[in-house]
Amino acid sequence: MSQFEGNIDDFGMDTISLAGPLKGKLDAIRDAGFSQVMLLARDLVQHPNGWQAAVQEVKDSGLRVTGFQVLRDFEGLSGHLHEYKIDIAKSMLEMCSALGCGVMLACSSTSTHATGETSALVRDLRKLAMLAIPMNIKIAFEALSWGRTINEFPQAWDIISQADMPNLGLGFDSFHLFATKTPLDELEMLDPDKIFLVQLADFMWNEIKTVEERISTARTFRVFPGEGVHSEALAELTLKLHQMGYRGDYSFEVFNDDYQQMPLATVAQRARRSALWLGEGVLRRSVPLPNQMRLRR
Amino acid sequence: MNANNMARTVVADREEIVEGPNPLGLEGIEFIEYATSKPQALGQVLETMGFRPVARHRSREVLLYRQGDINIIVNAHSSGTALTEKPVIAAIALRVRDAGAAYRRALERGAWAVPVHVEVMELNIPAVHGVGTSRIYFVDRHKEFSIYDVDFTPIPTVDQRPPAIAGLHFFGIVQYIGNDRTEDWTEFYSALFGFSALPPEERFGILPKGRILRSPCNSFYLQLIEPEPGVLDVEDDECLQRMGLGTPDVQATVAQLRQRGVEFVASKGAQLDSRGALT
Repeated sequence: MSQFEGNIDDFGMDTISLAGPLKGKLDAIRDAGFSQVMLLARDLVQHPNGWQAAVQEVKDSGLRVTGFQVLRDFEGLSGHLHEYKIDIAKSMLEMCSALGCGVMLACSSTSTHATGETSALVRDLRKLAMLAIPMNIKIAFEALSWGRTINEFPQAWDIISQADMPNLGLGFDSFHLFATKTPLDELEMLDPDKIFLVQLADFMWNEIKTVEERISTARTFRVFPGEGVHSEALAELTLKLHQMGYRGDYSFEVFNDDYQQMPLATVAQRARRSALWLGEGVLRRSVPLPNQMRLRR
Repeated sequence: MNANNMARTVVADREEIVEGPNPLGLEGIEFIEYATSKPQALGQVLETMGFRPVARHRSREVLLYRQGDINIIVNAHSSGTALTEKPVIAAIALRVRDAGAAYRRALERGAWAVPVHVEVMELNIPAVHGVGTSRIYFVDRHKEFSIYDVDFTPIPTVDQRPPAIAGLHFFGIVQYIGNDRTEDWTEFYSALFGFSALPPEERFGILPKGRILRSPCNSFYLQLIEPEPGVLDVEDDECLQRMGLGTPDVQATVAQLRQRGVEFVASKGAQLDSRGALT
């Protein structure tokens, strides 16, 4: 891919959209012209030669790791459940650090064993962020739309603000935002520097009525931005984030059972089309100059 | 669940006691540990600076150097990781009121525990991971008896309490950090150990940059230094870079140390002697 074909550097694919072993996914993503990839912990541990071999494969691919996902049901637990989750978190942080990846995604708890008490949620997220500090990892906390206590981003933002840790910020998933119909105006209160990751996905129906339907759509039938019925809203969302000053990464968080049985290159091309639409058509990114230095922010 | 909620309400009704400014009862630095594959070279430098080797570790290739209240441990015992010729600060030991409590409090707030490898009859000194590969130890009972009595054998005929040259004492430690990492490390040291950041106008030290954190016992400082602007991708290089020693009279100390053969790194406007160039 030549750089003159468009600037899609801000966008990355997620390995969950593709079937098969890690190496094939990385190759397909790179061949479609992407420079970054969002990885799942499972991508590493499923590797037949062990997770360190998977880390090496990622490094050899030359792709930058956008983020590492996902720590589930972490906050609000007590006693032995809390200790257990701390161990899980540490193990994930170690893999994230080995990847040289700077962002780990944690999503809000769905567990009925977890308390909804704000002070406990704040304390646990502070602890998680503290664990990540020596490894130079940022924690992006995301409101799952079927989370038990935290299910919309303004609630997640409230907890993040109270925890007040420099490396704890918001992970943002357009799917959950549209599913709960959270007004876009709520974005105004966010500090763009504290948005650590934006995940984009579209879907095919206008409305999702029940939580069950929400979960099954989220896990099996998302599509790339521009392929569903929320394209306009997605365009509006990315523009709004841009106007607010967000200059971080966008990752396509597209779970789709059909894409799981298509050739990887075909899926990656669909992702590329989506990235071109957003990069060129919506955000109107300029083509990078040859040898341009990429700034950190 | 109900009983749980009740219990919580009862606790919430009680008056909250705000944590004091020195939650660990921190009282300065017990020792700083250097790791190197050339312990004699470093030892020689330390000796010209007035340190004396006073004791040897019972089971490992480790020496204790001392002058006045400053203890420096030179560790040449490689356990797993290869040591470098250039000495690196491998650990800081903090004097605290209750080492066990300090350790548990740190873990409770998200520090990483360091697994201990003690031999029989040796002290189990609790530690958490610091920057890079370094560790932070918690030591208590430093008044009643010396931790070195347990793990170290005194070197015969050597004065166990060599006086400090010109009143030298621990003053600070400089930590190099990655880009945009000042806030992270400030939070780390303040939440886990009770350090507080000095306002930018109240600064000192030979390197007038970075951020200075004051220990809650007001006896020493940490200086966090980000890379120069324009230097990218140095995240891997976070480390404890050097220690600073304090003295009541810098000029006199410099003169005295020069006489002993210490070469100073020439720099303009140096106010305090902070010789990290121990290589």
